[in-house]
Amino acid sequence: MGKFVPTPSCTVGPFFPAHYFGPNDNDLTVTSNAAGASSKRAQGTKIYIAGTIYEADRVPRWNSIVEFWQADASGHFAHPNDPESSKADPDFMGWGRRASEDDGYYDFITVKPGGYKDPLTGLVRAPHINVSIMGSGLMRRLVTTFFFPDEPANAGDPVFNAIPDAKVRERIILKPAKFPRAPADALCYRLDIVLQGEDETPFFLD
Amino acid sequence: MDKLPNRFAPYDDRTQPAFKVEGYKETITRVPMQGFYKRPATLTEVTGPLNLARKLDADLSDLSRAKGGGRDGKDGARAMGQLIFVTGRLLDEDGSPVRNSIIEVWHANSAGRYIHKMDAGSPFPEDPNFFGSGRCLTDHEGRYQYISIKPGAYPVPNHPQRWWRPPHIHLSIFGSGFMSRLVTQMFFPGDPLNAQDRILNSVPDPKGRERMISRPIPMMELPRADVVGFAHDIVVRGSRATPMGI
Ligand SMILES: [Fe+3]
Repeated sequence: MGKFVPTPSCTVGPFFPAHYFGPNDNDLTVTSNAAGASSKRAQGTKIYIAGTIYEADRVPRWNSIVEFWQADASGHFAHPNDPESSKADPDFMGWGRRASEDDGYYDFITVKPGGYKDPLTGLVRAPHINVSIMGSGLMRRLVTTFFFPDEPANAGDPVFNAIPDAKVRERIILKPAKFPRAPADALCYRLDIVLQGEDETPFFLD
Repeated sequence: MDKLPNRFAPYDDRTQPAFKVEGYKETITRVPMQGFYKRPATLTEVTGPLNLARKLDADLSDLSRAKGGGRDGKDGARAMGQLIFVTGRLLDEDGSPVRNSIIEVWHANSAGRYIHKMDAGSPFPEDPNFFGSGRCLTDHEGRYQYISIKPGAYPVPNHPQRWWRPPHIHLSIFGSGFMSRLVTQMFFPGDPLNAQDRILNSVPDPKGRERMISRPIPMMELPRADVVGFAHDIVVRGSRATPMGI
């Protein structure tokens, strides 16, 4: 432990400014919000992920702030803790943000992340997306990880397998789906996020 | 590039807020019931976006001016209220500066009203010259600063147990990786409403609560004579020791 103690977390509250969101904040395949910015897009398979956020009793939860963080298509991060950061895609930031809509709907456009052999633990990570959820009533953020279906590496993934019950693990596997709002050239997946309930999304200790 | 934190221990519950806060009904229906799973920290947890200014405009450090903290240039009309200057350092658990990191700042106007559709029923007036949010970037020492107006208190809406939220400033901080992401609030020293705020007081450790309260800066140490100054250092999680699981 370091000698300084982290400042307490606090709820984001109900008033996170709407004007903090740029038009491309939930599109990870572009790195700018500026109109007419470079049309260079991230490398990889374009995917669309959408779903509904629910609180207890399956009540849709609007005004939740959802953030994605993920590796690029080849499994690299543009960050000095990645020993192979020089191989990271310069047209991919790996981060996106979105507030859920009135009916609880959220969506992101991104590329399918690559898996990687983890330099810290030597373990093999399956392709995955780290997800944070913040909102009114959440004094601390909630964190979970999305995984992909039919991915053999899931079986050995240390985070996926940190959840012992296969039925519960199933709740963080993206499901192939179709959405009218998805870009025509994207593979589509659904994943609903249940903050509380019988079929609650598994969240990790933060 | 500097070595960045790659070790993250779980938060100490005494120094962090309780998940469930009495009288704050949203904490009852939105907090998971089934416990949290422990996982090892791997590269995806110890990395994070370091170049967010490509997407998020980080040059909005005067919130006191009309329409968006400088968005309309230096001549924008001033928002109503006491001008304040807030500065401090963003550090990790080793006390090392967190550099070039975006801090998002938003708060109510001087009457206690937000620009947000959730606050449409507020009994307090809007201020056409107060936009309510900005962003700044930490420098090489981890230092940030912004100018704004002092927010007013406001009652928590629609709660079975009503209470006044003391004047506070919301902060969203990215730090150097996914595990150092922090959303917090800064309070003002000596405000009588601090003692009854259920949110501030949901942190069990009194020292933890103190870490959310800013300190007055003596006037002679301020860069200008028209602002009341507050100092507030912020510590995000992460240290540089041998990597370990969380
Ligand atoms: Fe507030």
